[in-house]
Amino acid sequence: MASHSQVLVEEKSSVRILTLNRPKQLNALSFQMISRLLQLFLAYEEDPSVKLVILKGQGRAFCAGGDVSAVVRDIGQGNWRLGAKFFADEYMLNYVMATYTKPQVSILNGIVMGGGAGVSVHGPFRIATENTVFAMPETVLGLFPDVGASYFLSRLPGFFGNNTLSFFFFAFPLDPQAISLSHPSCSGEYVGLTGARLDGADMLACGLATHYLPSTRLTALEAELCRVDSSDPALVSTILDAYTQNPHLKQQSAYHRLDVIDRCFSGRTVEEIIAALEREATHGGDDWISSTIRALKKASPASLKISLRSIREGRLQGVGQCLSREYRMVCHVLKGDISKDFVEGCRAILIDKDKNPKWEPWRLEEMKDRMVEQYFKRVEEEEDLKFPARKNLPALAMAKL
Amino acid sequence: MSENRALQRAHILANHILRSPPLPSSLSLAREVCLQYSPPELNESYGFDVKEMRRLLDGHNTEDRDWLYGLMMQSNLFNRKERGGKIFVSPDYNQTMEQQREITMKRIWYLLEKGVYRGWLTDSGPEAELKKLALLEVCGIYDHSLSIKLGVHFFLWGNAVKFFGTKRHHEKWLKNTEDYVVKGCFAMTELGHGSNVRGIETVTTYDPRTGEFVINTPCESAQKYWIGGAAKHATHTIVFSQLNINGTNQGVHAFIAQIRDEDGNICPNIRVADCGHKIGLNGVDNGRIWFDNLRIPRENLLNSVADVSPDGEYVSAIKDPDQRFGAFMAPLTSGRVTIASSAIYSAKVGLAIALRYSLSRRAFSVKANGPEVLLLDYPSHQRRLLPLLAKTYAMSFAANDLKMIYVKRTPETNKAIHVVSSGLKAVLTWHNMHTLQECREAVGGQGVKTENLVGQLKGEFDVQTTFEGDNNVLMQQVSKALFAEYVSCKKRNKPFRGLGLEHMNSSRPVLPTQLSSSTLRCSQFQKNVFCLRERDLLERFTSEVAQLQGRGESRESSFLVNHELAEDLGKAFTEKAILQTILDAEAKLPAGSMKDVLGLVRSMYALISIEEDPSFLRYGYLSRDNVGDVRREVSKLCGELRPHALALVSSFGIPDAFLGPIAFNWVEANAWSSV
Repeated sequence: MASHSQVLVEEKSSVRILTLNRPKQLNALSFQMISRLLQLFLAYEEDPSVKLVILKGQGRAFCAGGDVSAVVRDIGQGNWRLGAKFFADEYMLNYVMATYTKPQVSILNGIVMGGGAGVSVHGPFRIATENTVFAMPETVLGLFPDVGASYFLSRLPGFFGNNTLSFFFFAFPLDPQAISLSHPSCSGEYVGLTGARLDGADMLACGLATHYLPSTRLTALEAELCRVDSSDPALVSTILDAYTQNPHLKQQSAYHRLDVIDRCFSGRTVEEIIAALEREATHGGDDWISSTIRALKKASPASLKISLRSIREGRLQGVGQCLSREYRMVCHVLKGDISKDFVEGCRAILIDKDKNPKWEPWRLEEMKDRMVEQYFKRVEEEEDLKFPARKNLPALAMAKL
Repeated sequence: MSENRALQRAHILANHILRSPPLPSSLSLAREVCLQYSPPELNESYGFDVKEMRRLLDGHNTEDRDWLYGLMMQSNLFNRKERGGKIFVSPDYNQTMEQQREITMKRIWYLLEKGVYRGWLTDSGPEAELKKLALLEVCGIYDHSLSIKLGVHFFLWGNAVKFFGTKRHHEKWLKNTEDYVVKGCFAMTELGHGSNVRGIETVTTYDPRTGEFVINTPCESAQKYWIGGAAKHATHTIVFSQLNINGTNQGVHAFIAQIRDEDGNICPNIRVADCGHKIGLNGVDNGRIWFDNLRIPRENLLNSVADVSPDGEYVSAIKDPDQRFGAFMAPLTSGRVTIASSAIYSAKVGLAIALRYSLSRRAFSVKANGPEVLLLDYPSHQRRLLPLLAKTYAMSFAANDLKMIYVKRTPETNKAIHVVSSGLKAVLTWHNMHTLQECREAVGGQGVKTENLVGQLKGEFDVQTTFEGDNNVLMQQVSKALFAEYVSCKKRNKPFRGLGLEHMNSSRPVLPTQLSSSTLRCSQFQKNVFCLRERDLLERFTSEVAQLQGRGESRESSFLVNHELAEDLGKAFTEKAILQTILDAEAKLPAGSMKDVLGLVRSMYALISIEEDPSFLRYGYLSRDNVGDVRREVSKLCGELRPHALALVSSFGIPDAFLGPIAFNWVEANAWSSV
């Protein structure tokens, strides 16, 4: 049962509280954790006595991502397909969450990165606090924002700094006003390409979180949620709304840069985006512009290009299509048939920690269109990821197909 | 008194209740299960790789297309709305004409700011042209007004400057056009002359004393009409006019004239009026223009073909006015190319909506108390929509092919481009109109709501059958060109080359008397039938015309008398050209599910074309039994294409947001909570 203790389960009347429990690894998702979560979520869906699922993390992280060190080890031993299995299960879990028939409340009281976003953002309720730190840092690892990020990042309506407005694809209830008022932007491209860090206030403002409260109020909120005894999202929403607060956006928040983000990150190619940022920099740039440019220059050129394309395609696709496209992409990444940047990135950032990856190709121009295209083709002798038919989908989940 | 009345009513009510029959004991109090939306994705499967098919259908620049779709979805200018949990973008057609014109212009500014038009006039080469065409197609999928307003500015005004003009015009105008420093329009059509450009009545003379041209509208029928952009926004126009030099008419020439200043005030010696509200395309400000002896500099003559010297002498390398006119018109084929492909994208929108709806909407039970039947499971519904789907596929390949020969054009291919683009423009735009009408009816009452698009698109796209050449006139031009080709080959005793007429060099194909299913689906048989029809009609047409000419009739009037044959021939030529393009596309595919499905689609295209054209019976290419077999095979193919319907429309690659709400969760979209 050792593996089960990586996910703690509490049963409180009709609510199940799942706690990711690998605090030393910042709750990075292991293969066992993913299997266990998938098993639990599927079981709860069938179990009429379960009405609501709460997901949180032990310690200072909610979840710092997928545990890729094992995957890198497998690749090193010439067994990339083992790694592919890890991602297949992870994406399956993301899909089940995105199309879940019961409300999932994720309490993001700490670090939320990569795979951590994948197990929370797809659900209808995401609670941020003053401890929340969010990022999709995949491009500096030689990977790309996966776990369905091409779906949710491409639908970020932008920062509008008003917590009564809800994130249109995820939050409940759907508020058409919110959509017409929201300021759409290319913040998805910004967050996905630069790996920029967002705090709880930023997350709420851009719709990645649906609610914000001080962490001291979490215990009370949890207790109240445990009494809800209903799967009606409107009821859950009422409870959460009563706790939520309007946080202050920091001076350096990307919220204040929305016009620049929109101007630059709407470019057609990564090269155009960087050129636009550099133009901004020459016309009175500041720290924010230069650190954004630096982040892009630090990232793997291959990763940047496939990430941009993935987000752009994702904007027009359903969540299942996004995840199965990402699966094709991740298989190519693991196989290393076009670029081996993933292994190199993990070496430089996670293993040797010299923070000096040798990307191949090294320059953006060397990452040709036809190489990018390769990532989106089916991998030989590898089946496309197929998702199970889901029953009794709520209207919100149907809209994501 | 009132108490008594109340008592009396209570008595009556009590009697009602007591005398009504007892409730059956078996009555269930449970609510009947309500109709629920079930997404077609849950019940249908994809038998082939939809993404690969989309790549094949779009043909080029899929990434650029997706970028632009994204830009439009992200902007508040594109009238984003939420229905049934999904986001949709489409114009608000309930806006007034003035509002639609203003918002269309604002959308153009937004896309300009995003760099969508970068290189549209200043870059050249096939790659740049294809990118431009792809982006324009995406604009047209959002709103026809948007693509037409862009088309007028870039493809009519811009291309006229580029192709009719010379260096001095290019330097002065092209970059400024690309950046919308000037807004161009294109004044060719007049009240009295449309397709017959040679007959226009606007007259331009030259004044050697001042070195200026003087443009004049001599009569009301010479007013410029339907000029897109003229009513509100355009600052400059191309003017088509007869050029009269020292009393000699040198034929139609093109000039540049400014019609508004930077502040939008109309220039002196110009009068402008509005064409008014239209049945569609109200986002385009069509206007009328009168020129009152407007003076423009000599340099404003677009002089690639002919020029006038400062002292007023007319010089042209091309002596024959007919040829000169032809040289002038050649670059304008781009209009027909873009119209043909945009018509197909419109048909795709209609079919994607109607077929998705038919995969989620049920009506009537076949068995008593049985479940209601999905619309697309009715053979009649399949017969209404699936042949149109197959035609749309075939024509999509034809449109792509046309784009390819257009962007790789050489002086030698100009004639072929002219003929093929004329035929395809006519056939594809007609097809779009038929398709939209069928789709409108197929989705029932929902089709009349503008937000569901299919009905509205009929009005928006109707004009395609008329502008850039009336469809009927274009089809006659196809027949005339084929006639000329035939006569010239026979006269010089040379084999046919080009226009797909090579099959005329070999012997007449023989069709089998009995048509089995496998024969009907055989590509060689299908080609033979189409070739036979084209060949026979061409021979009939030429011999009829020759006979009349032999009796002393002019060629023109001989054509007129034989208009029915001409029409049949034009259709036969164009349908064969379309069949060839889908055959080519299919042949390039490796064996596999995609090729198999495309084979079914191609057979459907071929057989439905045979089924719908009475020529095959009229001229005896097929027997009565044969056409009966064709009809049965069409019905069989409907059944075989049915399982692929969702995959085939998903392969159109049109993002959900650009379809109508009935294509998705129409129950939720209409729920009380959304009111």
